[in-house]
Amino acid sequence: MLGLGRRASSHFAKDEAKLAALLSDAKRFKGESLWQDAWRRLKRNRGAFLSLLFLIFFMGLSLIAPVLPVPSPMALDLVAEPQPPNWPWEANPRLAENLDPARKAKRFGLYSTEAKGAFADNGWQHRSFIDLVRPMAPGETEDTLQPAAEVSAFVQEISGRKPIVYVKPGEEPGTVLERHAVVYQSSDRSRIRYVKGEQQIPVRLTQMLTSAGTTAIYAEWLLPGEPPLTEAVEELGYTNEGVVGVTLPEDPTELTGTVENDRLHLASRLDGKLERRFSIALKGADTFTLEGARVAWGDEWPTDDEAWRNLLEPPAEPESAMDVESGTEPGDEPEDPTAAEPEEPTLEEFLALARLWTGEGGSLQLVKNGKRSVAFSERTATAQEFLPEPGLGLRAKAEEALEAGGLVATLASVDHIEGTWDLNWFDRQLVKGRAALFGSWQTGPLLGTDGKGRDLLSRIVWGSRISIQASLIATLFSLIIGVTYGAFSGLMGGRIDNLMMRIVDVLYAVPFIFVVIFLLTMLSEMGVDRMKVFYVVIGAIYWLTMARVVRGQVLSLKNQEFVESAKVLGASTSRILFVHLVPNVLSIVIVYMTLTIPQIMLFEAFLSFLGLGVEAPQVSWGLLATDGTEAISAIKVFWWVVLFPALAMGATLLSLSILGDGLRDALDPKLRGKD
Amino acid sequence: METQPTQAAPAVHAGGPAVLEVNHLGIRFDTHQGSVRAVRDVSFKLAAGETLGIVGESGSGKSVTSLGIMGLIPQPPGVIESGEVLFDEQDLLKLKPRQMRKIRGGQVSMIFQDPMTSLNPLLTVGRQLTEVLAIHEGLRGRKARARCAAGLGEVGLPNPEARLDSYPHELSGGMRQRVMIAMGLICNPKVLIADEPTTALDVTIQAQILELMQKLQREHGTAILLITHDLGVVAGMSDRIQVMYAGRVVEKAPVVELFGEPLHPYTRGLLTSVPTLTGSPDERLTAIDGQPPDLADLPPGCSFAERCAFVRDNCRVSSPPLDAIRGEGEATRFSACFEVDRLDAHGAARDLSFLPAAQTPAGHVPTLNTERDIQPSEDDA
Amino acid sequence: MLPFLFRRLRWFAITLFCVVTISFFLMRQVPGGPFDSERSLAPEIEANIKAKYNLDWPQWKQYLQYVGPINLDDDGLFGDRSGKPLGGILTGDLGPSFKYRDYTVRGVLSESLPISIALGSVAMFFALTLGLSAGVFSALRRGSGFDLIARVGATIGIALPNFVIAGFLIIVFSFQLEALPVAGWGSANKLVLPALALGAPFAAYIARLTRTGMLEVLSQDHIRTARAKGLPEWLVLTRHAIKGGILPVVSYLGPATAGILTGSLVIEKLFAIPGTGMHFIESALNRDYTMAMGVTILYTVLVYSLNTMVDLAYTLLDPRIKLEEA
Repeated sequence: MLGLGRRASSHFAKDEAKLAALLSDAKRFKGESLWQDAWRRLKRNRGAFLSLLFLIFFMGLSLIAPVLPVPSPMALDLVAEPQPPNWPWEANPRLAENLDPARKAKRFGLYSTEAKGAFADNGWQHRSFIDLVRPMAPGETEDTLQPAAEVSAFVQEISGRKPIVYVKPGEEPGTVLERHAVVYQSSDRSRIRYVKGEQQIPVRLTQMLTSAGTTAIYAEWLLPGEPPLTEAVEELGYTNEGVVGVTLPEDPTELTGTVENDRLHLASRLDGKLERRFSIALKGADTFTLEGARVAWGDEWPTDDEAWRNLLEPPAEPESAMDVESGTEPGDEPEDPTAAEPEEPTLEEFLALARLWTGEGGSLQLVKNGKRSVAFSERTATAQEFLPEPGLGLRAKAEEALEAGGLVATLASVDHIEGTWDLNWFDRQLVKGRAALFGSWQTGPLLGTDGKGRDLLSRIVWGSRISIQASLIATLFSLIIGVTYGAFSGLMGGRIDNLMMRIVDVLYAVPFIFVVIFLLTMLSEMGVDRMKVFYVVIGAIYWLTMARVVRGQVLSLKNQEFVESAKVLGASTSRILFVHLVPNVLSIVIVYMTLTIPQIMLFEAFLSFLGLGVEAPQVSWGLLATDGTEAISAIKVFWWVVLFPALAMGATLLSLSILGDGLRDALDPKLRGKD
Repeated sequence: METQPTQAAPAVHAGGPAVLEVNHLGIRFDTHQGSVRAVRDVSFKLAAGETLGIVGESGSGKSVTSLGIMGLIPQPPGVIESGEVLFDEQDLLKLKPRQMRKIRGGQVSMIFQDPMTSLNPLLTVGRQLTEVLAIHEGLRGRKARARCAAGLGEVGLPNPEARLDSYPHELSGGMRQRVMIAMGLICNPKVLIADEPTTALDVTIQAQILELMQKLQREHGTAILLITHDLGVVAGMSDRIQVMYAGRVVEKAPVVELFGEPLHPYTRGLLTSVPTLTGSPDERLTAIDGQPPDLADLPPGCSFAERCAFVRDNCRVSSPPLDAIRGEGEATRFSACFEVDRLDAHGAARDLSFLPAAQTPAGHVPTLNTERDIQPSEDDA
Repeated sequence: MLPFLFRRLRWFAITLFCVVTISFFLMRQVPGGPFDSERSLAPEIEANIKAKYNLDWPQWKQYLQYVGPINLDDDGLFGDRSGKPLGGILTGDLGPSFKYRDYTVRGVLSESLPISIALGSVAMFFALTLGLSAGVFSALRRGSGFDLIARVGATIGIALPNFVIAGFLIIVFSFQLEALPVAGWGSANKLVLPALALGAPFAAYIARLTRTGMLEVLSQDHIRTARAKGLPEWLVLTRHAIKGGILPVVSYLGPATAGILTGSLVIEKLFAIPGTGMHFIESALNRDYTMAMGVTILYTVLVYSLNTMVDLAYTLLDPRIKLEEA
């Protein structure tokens, strides 16, 4: 017995040494976790690694978009055609020293490069125009079309602006289509909205019949001042839609609209998308006075007038003769004038921002509480002096301006425009950073501009924010549903599993995109936010595959020998779950996720193309790609409008799919330890 | 690399002129990690009706040798560096692809290791069999079908006619390997290369398959090149054995002599790593320490030097040639070792009881899986 | 095979029932009916219109009428059993279009569906020929210049939305080369660009699938066996490799058809092709619910039956798959 024991122990001694050697041999495979191993292998895969770097870079760029010295993605420079890329070595046309003197003079005019509106300007949407279809004049050919000067003159007369004229052959052979367009900028918008004290401004309303058979209504009035400022004209909208009822006494004040509480309400739809409502107080049967006409974007008539008035009016004048609409809830808005001080930092940031994007003396629009905007603009030769300095309060500046020029500077409240950039704290810090780093300097149109003069580079970078955000959220959504469903089904097994998978099969057979479009149109008709519908619906489609994949993985893992052996070794259930099952499922989930994101981005583009995705003034890659296809014309190929968004999108999706493939290889346990 | 012209070894049983003669075959693969010299200077002859076993662990170059003979080395990355493969007085390596195709599958055919994957899962067995006949004998239609059915019957498949319409997944592993054998033999080849024909099969099926191969060999007089890492299989099947290590032939001998008195440290290592029926159950098997060398980065001298108990300084400098040993008359034993004599003196007589005295079916031999045993594994610990 | 088809049919019925029911009732929940955006109508006229489309009935009754084949009228469930022939989607009657006043949905679809199918099949044909040949060729010439180009092209094709591809195609073929018309329908050359643009992403994906599939098959043991039999290389390829190599493509055909049908929404809009997709988008935007539902139902049927056919084809190609398990 003893001898045998010794023999055995000597064997063991030998074995121990051997075991140590074996273990050290195996260390390079087994010493690292699945993730370390995968990371090492991913780094070796050059394509996937470069893709990862690119994606990190690009996502970083989109994250810090506000700090980049690019123009506003929505700032308009109304030119008829897209402008080609401005190479870095060329003079930057956006900088004051390179401005064309003629344009420089017209600082606030149509061709102004500076008054591009505010951070959230979506000025192009309040473009008004007259379309004129006329027979081709004798001797006129398609190449020598001449717009009708008298129409232009008329438009200029009534609007006080020089219209942009587009001429092209009409759809009917032998006809000519002319468009005489006037663009209103935020300064105009704010002008009509301001009412100081009890002052009433006489308004003349003009009707104009457009070629489309709709009636455009213009409000025209005189701003008092010394000397009187130019007359201003605001298009009030079309009358052919949604307005029922009242006929007013006599021309030119004959109008249709709804009368409610002694007020005339006009509503119109622009571009088929935007609801604009105007309210005009009826102060008598024979004359109209414009009093606090408001622009309301969205469905609701502004109800919390109290808040913005408190902000603007000195506290000494608590109530004015201005309209008091229904539903004012003073308790809701804490911003009484004394409490305006805490606003200072916010205002300061926005002022800084406005300077950056409008140059000196432009106008700015402030988004407050995600709901209200305050616009500030100057229209005098002394505009420079009233420049809002960063760090000074808006109100102080406004009062200063008012004292100096009477009604020269105007303050008004504009309702929050739906989809306006609503800066959060993080982005505000970035804007501060931008002001600190670059001052008012900004890049030229490095990648060119699109048809509305918006900077493409800026749009691509800002657009990536929505596209990436949308795809990430939607992927996450599909992930949560899919993993839960699949894991549950796989773990339950048996009859439940069978039924759950049958349901998935049924859903698979539904041509989902049709249902999605159906749902999107119906739900947005019901007033649900489209992006929310998008996330939910996308999640609802893409969870199917996820559920299948996870279920398959769970099923196969459940019965695998290493799980058995872990059980035999006495591992607890939670240990088996988290040490053995979760990593294995997780790897497949990660791979699938990287492959889902591109699909969702494509889907977003698809919906945007069909007009069901993100809405202007927001911008996403899908919209950019759509803009690109619209910029294709037989006359001139604006290649940059097509190419650059496509490049950005293509490169990102490409990297995602390469990374996905790389991850699949890296996380494949069968390939572990191999290269 | 120094080479020694190999002496013709007469077949022990069948005798007669060699049908297949391989001389100084060298094959390398150019990979990203460098050139992998998978086969170096391999020579042998194979006579009609004879069985030559090639033994070695994985990566020793035995399969590459067989693929080289068949002209199935994918090029690139494979490169035939040197040598010739003589069959019917023509060098197979120099043949045009068209001529090579005539021989491949017809006169020289091959059976692969894994019958599960070696048959096309999407085609019926009949289709896969008849296409061999169509190519090599121009036989089509009903005649070809009849031949194939006969072939399947010959390898012992029940109900061969019906089996022709089966898909591979409908057959068991053993049946599939029988189909593979039938496919290899259907054109009555002169040489059959069997690359690990039984590795993927159950032990009982292995025995049946080996028996079947021997039976068919007797009937057709086919020369068989049997490639395996299973010492039991070669012991039962082969007339002569050739041991390969790291791409080289290290020892070559008639089967009984090799097992009785291995004359290369590697062969000896292989044999001591195999359990025997008569050995004491307490006795531990010895494994060969270390790992085979990296073929992409071969050290100078003998490839086995690092793992060899008999190593001398000389071994690390120059590579021992494959020399004939004890040449009474024509040499039958070759060993590539400088220290043969020392080894000889050291060598304890090996218990040969497990060897078949005559042609015992190999199935009665305990399965000796060198591949498992020579790899250091946790079983040893 | 028959039990398989029966089972499929059963699930199909369930699927269709869900689609029809859910969308029918959702549709009725939307504020603002299909006629709301029009000039305000006299109440009598509005009532007349509603009566014409049975919108004044309770919803369950409208639903029954829509599904059919039950003849309902104002008097009750089965009315006076006289007059109109039985309708409802079960008889193939998809109801009247709310927007195109004088058309039934079925009429509009029967005009536009052939167009969409023509476009879709040309696109599919193109995707298959280009995808398969590029995939096979690049697998055979792995690592060559062609392989590289094909792989890059395929990845780009997958990564770009098809309307962007269409944009590039228009720039090159219509404006630079002036070889093909920009848009429209009616002649063969007008079909080329839309079909190319529609098929391109699928060609790319098929090429990728084929390449991977072929590489995998070519590395399998049975290919070595086929070579060892002495088969010439082209026979190895055609008889042994391709069939296995394109199996993944076959199983992709189901999603691909669905994808092509979907993609045609965009392509039809872009190229102004009067196909079903265009009608669908228009109807969805114009609240023409019967039309939108009609298209959805039609496409559900199409996708489902095509999927079933693909599954059948797969079982024919791969003997290892049994229909009973599918």
